[in-house]
Amino acid sequence: MSLVTATVGYAESWWIQILKSLIIFIVGFSMVPLALMMDRKLMGRFQNRFGPNRVGPFGALQPMADIFKLLVKEEFRPRTATGFLFALAPAISILTACVAFAIVPFGNTVDIFGTQVGLYGIDPSIGVLFAFAFSAIAVYGLMLGGWASGSKYSFLGAMRSAAQLISYEVSMGLSLVGVIITCGTLSLTEIVGHQESAGMWLFIPQFVGFVVFMVAAFAETSRPPFDLPEADAELVAGYNTEYGGGRFALYYAAEYFHMVIASGIAVTMFFGGWLLPFGIDPPTWVDPIVVLVKITLVIAIFVWVRATLPRLRYDQLMSLGWKVLLPLATANALVTAILVTVLD
Amino acid sequence: MSTIVFFVAAIGAIAGAIGVVALRNPFYSVLALVGHLLSLAALFLLLRAEFVAAAQVVVYAGAVMVLYLFVVSYIGGGATQLTPGGAPLRAVAGGAVLALFAELAIAVLGSGLKAIDSDGAPYVPGFGTPAQIGEALLTKFLFPFEVASLLLLVAAVGAVVLARRRAGTTLGDEPEDATRWITPRSLFTGTMAEAVGGPHRAQTEPEPVEELRS
Repeated sequence: MSLVTATVGYAESWWIQILKSLIIFIVGFSMVPLALMMDRKLMGRFQNRFGPNRVGPFGALQPMADIFKLLVKEEFRPRTATGFLFALAPAISILTACVAFAIVPFGNTVDIFGTQVGLYGIDPSIGVLFAFAFSAIAVYGLMLGGWASGSKYSFLGAMRSAAQLISYEVSMGLSLVGVIITCGTLSLTEIVGHQESAGMWLFIPQFVGFVVFMVAAFAETSRPPFDLPEADAELVAGYNTEYGGGRFALYYAAEYFHMVIASGIAVTMFFGGWLLPFGIDPPTWVDPIVVLVKITLVIAIFVWVRATLPRLRYDQLMSLGWKVLLPLATANALVTAILVTVLD
Repeated sequence: MSTIVFFVAAIGAIAGAIGVVALRNPFYSVLALVGHLLSLAALFLLLRAEFVAAAQVVVYAGAVMVLYLFVVSYIGGGATQLTPGGAPLRAVAGGAVLALFAELAIAVLGSGLKAIDSDGAPYVPGFGTPAQIGEALLTKFLFPFEVASLLLLVAAVGAVVLARRRAGTTLGDEPEDATRWITPRSLFTGTMAEAVGGPHRAQTEPEPVEELRS
């Protein structure tokens, strides 16, 4: 029995845990090229061009070609870089992303080979705080990378991203408080269970929380219109300017991985996880597919916003985060708390 | 299993704490402190205090230490090495160490470490979950909780006031005229005209302020 899941009512045997970790790892890493491909293809369509269409059918193998290209490239390191931190930083980024993905539930507990298996990595009692803890550590991946590169562009990009991430983390956390108050639990599977019994997905009663969460998620994943950490017109490429080859591939994958995780949390918290609308009750094996399709749709929203909105200025970014989103999220939590108390 | 985790985390915590004071580069000191805090979080997990562990990582390792790292890498990072303090500082440090030792000695001798032979408090299901912590904060510890939140509010307001005073404004002022901050440039300090080798237009100070004001 692992440490974090100590309060779960049943114990999963060690081989199931290892198998689950492997499957989640593989699914997560298959989502990354998918997200990358969707990003490029949809961006192409939005801009009235085809996007990548040379490698494989409809250009579907383009991400594989990109990854292979990056892996066989030279690992360049600037002379001013701090060796071990320079190598460690991308590893922190990708590691925290992988671990945070473990809490996204793909289905409820099911019977496999006579044992109870939850279709998720872990379901700790602290729930979504687990993901927040690891995204808090992920900031070090960016900061150490930018600092250890020994380059001013990297350094400024890292400082920008650190300021942006810790500013929007507050709003992101507070925007989920409404959901947590409504459901009375932090556990992601129980939140989905609450949406099932209530018969309503939480993005309807928690619409303000949902909007704040999505805006904060754009900022947390450094996606446009909040891609200031890598504003290419000002900073070359931000914190990963000096990186190349496999290490750059790690940063790149971690970025898309964060998008997948944010989509997964949004799907679980606001869009009913593995539930289908209109009371359709499919067999259990459909559940993970439903979650994956929903995650893909949320990623499409990410790309849509990227194609629509221009990048914010730095002061606009900060005033939006602190003067608009934070009061909105606080008011949402307060109103939800009052309503829940009154209606009970 | 838990013994191994305990020793790894405990060694990590102590090594991190030593690193904070022993490392000469402030950037690495902060990183050592981060390692220390993460090891502490692992120790909390061993005590089944999941919420405290998560809060430790989110608040301290995630937010506070990032700010430390932020400041250190802007103003101290790498270039300046910390040097040993002077004689007065060492005297104060010695005094603090002695006081801490006396305090610990009193605690150890006073309790006689009786609890170390027993098994400790038994595990109650639900211990350390967010629900229990929330209940304790809003019933048993309501007054300290509210006082702490008031204290933090005062600190936040104080920070805002200090920041505004540092920027040369006081609360209630109109926004500053931005052109006030554009100082007239002195000559031969790298203007574009000098760079292309053109003649200096005037020996008096240029006045770009007027254009910007419109």
